[in-house]
Amino acid sequence: MTSRVSTGTRPGARFAQFKLVLLGESAVGKSSLVLRFVKDQFDDYRESTIGAAFLTQTISLDDTTTVKFEIWDTAGQERYKSLAPMYYRNANCAVVVYDITQASSLDKAKAWVKELQRQANENIIIALAGNKADLVAEHPDKRAITTSDAEAYAREAGLLFSETSAKTAENVRELFTAIARKLPLEQAGARNMRSNPRQGVDLRPEAPGTQGGGACNC
Amino acid sequence: MASNSSLQRPPNTRIDTTPGAFPSSPAQGQSPTVVSSQLSLSQAVHERKAEYTRLKRIKVKVGTWNVASLSGTEKDIGGWFVDGKGVSESLSGLSLGGEEASDNKDNKADAVVESVGEQEARRSKKKPTVPENDPGLPPTGEEIGIYALGLQEIVDVSSVTEALRPYSDPHPTKKWKQSIADGLPPGYQRIAEQQLIGLYLVIYASSATAPTISSVSTTSVGTGLGGYMGNKGAVTARIVLGETTRMVFVNCHLTAGVEKGSLERRNWDASQILSRTKFDPVYDGGGVMEEFGEGIGDEDFCFWFGDLNYRLEDMPGEDVRRLLMLHTRNEYGKAQASKQKIEHELANPESSTFHRNLEAANQPSGDDSSSTHTAADSSSGQSVASSTTLSNQEAYDPNSDPTSLQTTLSSLLTHDQLHAQMRTRKAFHDGWREGSIDFLPTYKYDVGSVGMFDSSEKRRGPSWCDRILYRTRKDKFAYEEKVRQEELAKKRDNEMKLQGVVEAATDEAVLFDYDPENDGADDQYDGSTADPEVVVTKAGFEDRLHLEYYKSHQRVLSSDHKPLDAVFTLDYDAVDPDLKAKVHQEMARELDKAENEGRPVVTIVVDHHRESDTTHTDSGPKYEGVDFGHVKYDHLKTRNVTIANTGRVPATVGFIDRSVDTGQPRGVSPPWLSIHFDRPSDNNNPNPGALQEYTLQPGDAVNVELTLHITDMDMVRRLSEGEDSLEDVLVLRIHNGRDYFLPLRGKWLQSAFGRSIEKLVRIPEGGARKLQHQRPAGSNHSSHHHPDDKENDAVKWSAPRELFRLTEAIESFTERSMAEWEMKGEEGEAPWEKEAAWPFSGFVSEEKERGVLRERVREGLDTNQPFTELFVLESGSIQRLEAVAETLVQFLKSLEDGIITEELWAEVEKGMLEHEKVKKPLSDEDERMWILDTVSTAPAHGVSFTFITFMLSRVANEVVPIQQQLQRRGTATSFDDMEAVQKSKDDPARARRREVDEAYAAIFADAMIRLPTTLTGKARKNTDVRRKHVVEVFLRSRLGDGS
Repeated sequence: MTSRVSTGTRPGARFAQFKLVLLGESAVGKSSLVLRFVKDQFDDYRESTIGAAFLTQTISLDDTTTVKFEIWDTAGQERYKSLAPMYYRNANCAVVVYDITQASSLDKAKAWVKELQRQANENIIIALAGNKADLVAEHPDKRAITTSDAEAYAREAGLLFSETSAKTAENVRELFTAIARKLPLEQAGARNMRSNPRQGVDLRPEAPGTQGGGACNC
Repeated sequence: MASNSSLQRPPNTRIDTTPGAFPSSPAQGQSPTVVSSQLSLSQAVHERKAEYTRLKRIKVKVGTWNVASLSGTEKDIGGWFVDGKGVSESLSGLSLGGEEASDNKDNKADAVVESVGEQEARRSKKKPTVPENDPGLPPTGEEIGIYALGLQEIVDVSSVTEALRPYSDPHPTKKWKQSIADGLPPGYQRIAEQQLIGLYLVIYASSATAPTISSVSTTSVGTGLGGYMGNKGAVTARIVLGETTRMVFVNCHLTAGVEKGSLERRNWDASQILSRTKFDPVYDGGGVMEEFGEGIGDEDFCFWFGDLNYRLEDMPGEDVRRLLMLHTRNEYGKAQASKQKIEHELANPESSTFHRNLEAANQPSGDDSSSTHTAADSSSGQSVASSTTLSNQEAYDPNSDPTSLQTTLSSLLTHDQLHAQMRTRKAFHDGWREGSIDFLPTYKYDVGSVGMFDSSEKRRGPSWCDRILYRTRKDKFAYEEKVRQEELAKKRDNEMKLQGVVEAATDEAVLFDYDPENDGADDQYDGSTADPEVVVTKAGFEDRLHLEYYKSHQRVLSSDHKPLDAVFTLDYDAVDPDLKAKVHQEMARELDKAENEGRPVVTIVVDHHRESDTTHTDSGPKYEGVDFGHVKYDHLKTRNVTIANTGRVPATVGFIDRSVDTGQPRGVSPPWLSIHFDRPSDNNNPNPGALQEYTLQPGDAVNVELTLHITDMDMVRRLSEGEDSLEDVLVLRIHNGRDYFLPLRGKWLQSAFGRSIEKLVRIPEGGARKLQHQRPAGSNHSSHHHPDDKENDAVKWSAPRELFRLTEAIESFTERSMAEWEMKGEEGEAPWEKEAAWPFSGFVSEEKERGVLRERVREGLDTNQPFTELFVLESGSIQRLEAVAETLVQFLKSLEDGIITEELWAEVEKGMLEHEKVKKPLSDEDERMWILDTVSTAPAHGVSFTFITFMLSRVANEVVPIQQQLQRRGTATSFDDMEAVQKSKDDPARARRREVDEAYAAIFADAMIRLPTTLTGKARKNTDVRRKHVVEVFLRSRLGDGS
């Protein structure tokens, strides 16, 4: 005659890990966006990425939900294009970047979106980032792609969209947060949540009688 | 802090803080990424808990009531439990004197509180029975953060149907929930409830407190019929307050009765509840689940309440009734029914015990009666019964000393079974406390009366059945420590006794003389009125619990039990969610930073080869990859790459499969490239398909040799056609780090190899290399296939010039080789004597030497340079001949279409089959004629075929010269000829020549004539015979046909 009911008013905190890939033409500012997001820094001159940089960044959506991004920042140069599928193949989300002062970079971005929608995980969350907004703020005539055009395209293609500036940090964190909010936390929770009961250990000190020899060594 | 020894070092205390410095020991530089996870994040956050916890105080009200399944009881719940009404001050020995209370209550017009008489008179099941105008005992209403209510007998558990019910009927809880909700101020939320038949536990929290409560788990344990049914047992709830404080609420109903065995059964019930209650695991702040569930005892604070059913023992119940009614009668006005009933009973004393107790009740006590120590400390209970003075009428004086009530209670409490169990460590002894009891026994009353104890036939002896106990973690530990000390003392005592030290010093004897009946009880109750003690909670936070009051609500009339409640003040460190979120964010950032900065880093250096051997065709920025420079067919080229660990942690590196398309060949490198590390891989797996990884300690470096070698003819063809390029990218993955792309490139040098006859005859003067600038490297756009362009631009030769040059060279080197051999007077067998297929097989020169020469031959062909100028001087004619001859065979094999293409061969074979059918063999001459006719339908092929067969017969004739016996050409069909041929067969030289012809034919048939790949088995064998025959007939027919 023993029953057990658990009706937590607040379930345990959620922690989910997602793979994010950055794609886009060379020199649109992919690495700069990541640098801003992860280290809150900006370099005016950056060498082009030869390879795929790997970084992690954790953000809290609220006091119970933590999302950790595993970011793959890929090389934008054409000669490495064929390697991109290695990085977007298992990605949960992608940030496709273009340079709002370079008309051709949006075409390239659109090609990436198309490729992602065709080849990547069908549930992939794609965000379109029109970077280098700071250049336009200073010299409005430098703008090559209007916000409304890009917005219309993003809406049509079902993408998150914002114009960003890695230099001024404008909309950078907001962009990644928006992605995190759109990620399927509930479903992914089971898969991506690292809640291995075996790893569980009572971390609180002064808990006599509860510290077995099996305390985890990690 | 035992668990912390295994924690990751906090990021800011990393040992290698000097930029660029290597850790003193490589083993210490473990990658933080290994441990950086949700777990370490919550650990790190937890370590800073002091920054995000704030002291909070809440009041917790715990109530318990056996409602005896009486309807109408729910109407009273708000009144007493929430509003604190119904506590009779006169009957709880508080401040008011009995006289004042009794005389005035009935008459005073301005009485604030309804009189007992009025209260009893107006009782109904439809309305609350609590006194009207009762201001209630504070704290009430919103002052309370958590209300925990335990009810017993919300259904009739004495009914067999209910007791044996396999499930709890939730219906009765509804009216309770409704009544409580109606009684509570707005905003209170029900955070937990649990029912077991008649037992119901429900917990409400204020709007401010509710959101801070987590990890709620409720359960129930049945200990009734058969030890498991739910007519008795407990319903329990565990909550975590403010992420720090674990609280357990136990509402129980233990076995009833005074008969023999019922006491033991109650103790057993309690032990079962303790051992069988298991809650769900707690989720800590980081969301990590503990692997164990929790029981009672793992919490910080436990409240155990309910109808524990412990009775007063060794006292006739009737005596107790009468004794107590001496006090309760004062509550009534003279004309009241209850008053008269009580007076009537008191006027008819029935036992001597009654008188003795009466005496005792009125005798001023020498003890400090206000002290709660009295009840607990007097273990004998004899003081009450010791008086032998007989009672007199004065003892009934209603104006007796108000302290006499407390005196009475104290004397009765010495008979309380529960206190006895605690003292004797039979139940509720391990740290449990109870507030001092200054109220009348809560059981059993006539329903509807304030103070009429059970007037039914049974006249049950009043008892404090209903109790509220509590225990802190510290209480439990203190008890456990005490037991440990006692055991130690006992052990030492025994040891001393064994050693014969019986006559130990007296003060020592006190220390070692242990009497569990008395010694253990001293500190069981003293905490209730003492300063609140600091309790180190399980989560390491310091909380304080203070009992504000412990009261029964005497003036609640709707049940035969009086409800009772206790209010506790709890000071605890609660997690401030906003502050915690901030710390959480900071720690996440720090961990990310440590993780990202702690990633392995390598530096890749491409050892640039000779500047002259790179492809500086484009004057763009310096090429960051591996440049193989000019690449030719079958020509090994090697480049070196150094991978150095320039980070602070060990780096495990390895090239990973870079194939991205399904059609693409898998592997870490293109088929034309081989990768060799200068050390065995970590797992030393010789399987080339296995992932090879190499771990580099900081400062360590590994050399990687990349070798390019292109031999695949399809690849050669595609490269020559511009359909493929020598560009690729290797992907070097650093475990837990980035991927490095290592681009490769080489410039393909055009070659005559791998082309078709049709293409070869268009190669301009100067060799295949001249094609280099005719089309942009790496592109093969359709515009280049414009037939007009091709026809016009093409230089037309009758046959590939390469064939001409090679056959010419072979003939000339053959002559020279033999001449040299003769001139040098070499000993032993000549190469051509040893091997019939020589110089096309059975080489005497070393493969390596030949390989170098072959490369020169190819270079000579493609650049139209004389071979002799390219050959190394040391090479002899035989070596040169072998290299040229071998190159010819390779060249023929490399031809895209073959000298005799598949289509041409089909025609030839068709003709042969027809001739076979006729069964009239053609002469060699005729056969030669029609074969040539057939092959020459593709003129360049015909010419090529003639070139080669002519050369072969010349070479054959050189190595096995045959005397010119047959001079008459064109008359081979004559009888004489046939005869001559027959004769020649017997000639050893002719026989040897035949061997040579056959050997050459075998090699060249295969090199020149293309067969469908589908041809297999016997058909293939037959075709092979015919193919060889076709070549052989050309050799044979040229016997002696020199110059």
